Amino acid sequence: MNESVLSRRSQWAEAVTLYVLCGLGALVISGLLVTVVGASWSDVWNALVDGSVRKPGRWGGTIGVATPLALVALGTMVSNRAGLVNIGQEGQLLIGAAFAAYAGANMVGPGPVALLVVLTSGALGGALWAGIAGGLRYWRKVPEVLSTLLLVSLAANVVGYGLKNSWLLLERGAGLGNRNSVSEQLAPDTRIPHWSLWGNDFAMSAVAVVLLIFLVSWMLNHTLWGYRLSVVGQNQRVARRFGIGETAEGMKSMFISGGMSGLAGGVMLASGDFANYRLVAGFSVSIGWVGLLVALVAGQRALAIIPVAFVFASLRTGSGFLASTGIERRVTDVVQGLIVLALLIPPAIMFIRQRRRALSASRSRV
Amino acid sequence: MGEFFSAVFEVLSTEAAFTAAARFAVLLAFAAAGEWVAERAGTLNISVEGMLLGGAFAAAMGFHITESVAVGLVCAMLAGGTVSMVQAQMSHRLTADPFVVGLTLNILVLGVVGFLESELKPSTRLASVVEVPFLVDLPLVGRALFGQPWPFYLIYVVVPFCGWLLLRTRWGLEVRAVGENPQSADVSGIHVNHRRRQSIYLAGLMAGLGGGYLLFGQVGRFEPGMVGGRGFIALVAVIFGGWRLRATIFGCLLFGSVLSFRLTLPALGYQLNNELLSSLPFLVTIVATSLFVRATRQPAALARPFIRGLK
Amino acid sequence: MSGGGSASAGPPPAVEVSGLTKNYGAVAACDAVNLQLHRGEIHGILGENGAGKSTLMKMLIGLVVPDAGRISIDGASVRIMSPLEAAQLGIGMVHQHFSLIEALTVWENVALGDRGKLSRSATRASVAELGEQYGLRVDPDVPVGDLPVGLRQRVEILKCLRRQPEILIFDEPTSVLTPEESEDLFASLRQVVNQEDRAVALVSHKLTEILSVTDRVTIMRNGQVVNGYQTDEVGAAALAQDMVGREVRLRSTALGNLGGSPSEAGEPEAEGRSEEISAPTVLELRGLEVRGPEGVVELDDFMLSVRAGEIVGVAGVEGNGQKALVDALSGLQPVIRGEVLVDGEVVEMKRLGASHEAGVAIIPEDRHDSGLVMEMSLAENLMLADPEGFSHRGVIDRGRLDALTEELIERFGIMCTGPHAPLWTLSGGNQQRAVLAREMTSNPKVLVASQPTRGLDVGAIEYMAGQLRQAADDGVGVLLISSELDEIFELADRIVVIFRGQITGEMTRATATREKVGRLMGGDLL
Repeated sequence: MNESVLSRRSQWAEAVTLYVLCGLGALVISGLLVTVVGASWSDVWNALVDGSVRKPGRWGGTIGVATPLALVALGTMVSNRAGLVNIGQEGQLLIGAAFAAYAGANMVGPGPVALLVVLTSGALGGALWAGIAGGLRYWRKVPEVLSTLLLVSLAANVVGYGLKNSWLLLERGAGLGNRNSVSEQLAPDTRIPHWSLWGNDFAMSAVAVVLLIFLVSWMLNHTLWGYRLSVVGQNQRVARRFGIGETAEGMKSMFISGGMSGLAGGVMLASGDFANYRLVAGFSVSIGWVGLLVALVAGQRALAIIPVAFVFASLRTGSGFLASTGIERRVTDVVQGLIVLALLIPPAIMFIRQRRRALSASRSRV
Repeated sequence: MGEFFSAVFEVLSTEAAFTAAARFAVLLAFAAAGEWVAERAGTLNISVEGMLLGGAFAAAMGFHITESVAVGLVCAMLAGGTVSMVQAQMSHRLTADPFVVGLTLNILVLGVVGFLESELKPSTRLASVVEVPFLVDLPLVGRALFGQPWPFYLIYVVVPFCGWLLLRTRWGLEVRAVGENPQSADVSGIHVNHRRRQSIYLAGLMAGLGGGYLLFGQVGRFEPGMVGGRGFIALVAVIFGGWRLRATIFGCLLFGSVLSFRLTLPALGYQLNNELLSSLPFLVTIVATSLFVRATRQPAALARPFIRGLK
Repeated sequence: MSGGGSASAGPPPAVEVSGLTKNYGAVAACDAVNLQLHRGEIHGILGENGAGKSTLMKMLIGLVVPDAGRISIDGASVRIMSPLEAAQLGIGMVHQHFSLIEALTVWENVALGDRGKLSRSATRASVAELGEQYGLRVDPDVPVGDLPVGLRQRVEILKCLRRQPEILIFDEPTSVLTPEESEDLFASLRQVVNQEDRAVALVSHKLTEILSVTDRVTIMRNGQVVNGYQTDEVGAAALAQDMVGREVRLRSTALGNLGGSPSEAGEPEAEGRSEEISAPTVLELRGLEVRGPEGVVELDDFMLSVRAGEIVGVAGVEGNGQKALVDALSGLQPVIRGEVLVDGEVVEMKRLGASHEAGVAIIPEDRHDSGLVMEMSLAENLMLADPEGFSHRGVIDRGRLDALTEELIERFGIMCTGPHAPLWTLSGGNQQRAVLAREMTSNPKVLVASQPTRGLDVGAIEYMAGQLRQAADDGVGVLLISSELDEIFELADRIVVIFRGQITGEMTRATATREKVGRLMGGDLL
């Protein structure tokens, strides 16, 4: 059976080649798109790099975007392990942010405690929202890929409604003729403190999230919980035989997944990086979707979330500088999608080739 | 609450309501008919949303350049076909995860279309209404079924065509075999992944056409958000219909009607909560599917990739 | 060495294969095979599992492309690149694991693989016609999923015959038939061969079958053709020796699975274990009712008991409830009525993992489905039996796990690259050893082995049988479920027969005869 598994060196070489080729392919197609519309590719590239990391103070902002992306991606990875297809992060994030905003507006108490409650409420909201889809799957056999998706639209409507009523989320005391759909601003001591490093300003939550990624990554690989999750995700029948409940583990993973997206919503609110500590219409700004993409690209390795989230965040913050190049901001959405598609190809190819090698080497399959 | 039900009841007795409901239902039906075939082949294509949107945009561009609705519709089909080609090749040749590919495609199409629309700004209009004599005068449903812009009538061809294709032709038999038991189909000499890809192309062509219908038969001008999640509702209709065509079309009628309430209820003077109306289709979809999903009828090999020699 | 007796100077053989080779990596599945199939003959291809007979047939049917060698049909050299081309050349195969699709009707299945316009009436008519002609009548409009296994095979045969093949290949056809149904099948084969001058190849690993049905026989071993005879000129002993490559006592365990009937070689000693009437009952099934997805009853008022140290063989044609029995005992299918008792205590089957905790070990029929997690490593699979035992407060102790895995690799002789080898890289026999290792380390009270030696080569079969005996010697109650009558007769102390979800007969090994059991398997109530 040794012929069926390539040496570590050639596995590495194959992977690197494929990824480089596909990545270049994505960049080339993006470059073509840019030139077709009449802009200069190097201008665009420079603007992106300036906007994301190069110009002073920019990479702090990029970190601020990368943080919720990473949280969402981490949660997605957990539910993926259990074999579930959760694509409702955008909605879970939004509901989480709504819960957090409500808590923030109604909490009475010392700052740090209030902040904790705000963030916990966020996680709670996201967990419940994902739990709905989980419940529908395990008790009514509705595929979660569809229920989580439909719940995203529902979430937008629910939050929109909330923002129009001051007994829910709408800012109180706004003049009647001048109502924007925004929530209360979080009190100054209910906000996540910022740090400043080399002229860059970012919320502490970034560090906490990095630590969380390391923790969850370790837990997935070294604890019984992670083990049970993997078994359920790969072979439910074997899991059931040995007393590992598909429903129990699956629901837990949905709660965790939704909870992390909800927490991301809370972090987005309390860090002030998105709407100045308020919940506004369209608050989620696709962080949920992009976070999902980050998880898909990072695959099975939780630690890979950190660089991938940073790259995708850079695309977003970099696009802010694109106006001067004469090209629409939306081109970064296209680039993002192309990169993801391109990065899906190498693992698929490697999988096929690995299986073909195993088949030809194994005599018992004759 | 009571007001809501009486609103619904009144809606059910006006011609305008039926007309709007039919329009919304037909959009779903274009996408659902093709996706029904593709799911019977064992594939699950979340990218239907992208196929619809791509079709709508291509229709707009086609019309913008040639001023012809027919050309626009052909462009729409081609665009839908292109999206489906990416989905098919990546999921059923390269074995990339179909959910991931589908999702990415939707986001990609949205980005491309949004980007191109703001740069190219196509201008379009609704297609002309064609009335079928006599039939259009039937009470309540006459105008709904026989007095619509002419792209609407294409559905009367698309749905039976898809049904005939899957249930009466050899190609359809092979597709059904592939969806139930790809290993056996392979041994019988059928190209499993060929048939799967072909069924996805069909779904793409039909959904693309649906996007063109959306533009010329319903909305009249292009906006990046014009599909608004209805591709997913079409997907759900297939599942709700237990992978049978008639039940799927019934699902489209049901969900389409609920979608149309957003227009017809206010038009009749009912001031219902805006968010409630917008979320109604999604709520109804979720509830209906929870109550009526019969997973036992599912094509046995749904959403599982096929590589010869592996289970 | 060419197969079959002297070549006649008449018309060219229907199929002639020379030097045919197929390599998978460094291993030759078929190594320079020479073979001739003549019209008007039933030619047996005998060999143990893994000998290369399946690969050879796959090359003839176009599912596999040879690396070297030549195939000639009626004297003309051909290349067969797909099942379609094989069909055009007049080669048809009736498959071992069936190529039927349960959701489709009989006529739709029969039409599959054809070309040209689909015609319901024409296909139905030909199904009726052929059914009459060969005595293989089936209702064309029934979904295949509703048919019992014996009728499904008829549909397979009709599907094959419909294309008027000149050359028919039957791959292990009797594995799912009762002895009586096998007789009927062979009668049909005779008719096909004699009356219509076609060539039939019968691939099998069963000596008795080959001896009674074929005109010529070719024996394969390790990918090579070892010998060929006129069937009436050779005896079981020579065939067995050719198959296995060494002198074999026909009563040896391994041959239990090869069709060597003990009654041919003389009476075996009655096993001593069945005299221990005082041994406690470790497994008792009382009035079990298990239903399948559409509410179909799969186990019906099922009663069975197994004593410690006893091997109970459950004989029966596949599809009579065996799968439901194993799934129910595994906790994978709910028990609607009745009780399962281990060591006299009722097991709460509703609770997940209850039977495992109670000490019921299971070697399932399909390890991919419910035995092992193929993507995980050997160590991770072995850990399934007791994950808490390898962890400390929720954290997995990899050191301890690896150490125990190494121990088990030694003890059970599992060939692999180490504890971290992904299970899909192991061969079938080694995967089966891994299952055994995991199940036996939890000190079970009951061992349920379902078709444990299916698809394994002689060495692996001998090993498994030995392990089952050892388990019984150690006081475990063994429930052996097998559709291979010979395996049952070789190992079991007590034999029961399952038919349509019920136990229809029970006897000790000493009082059992193949004929009695065969009739019970077919539904006769004695």
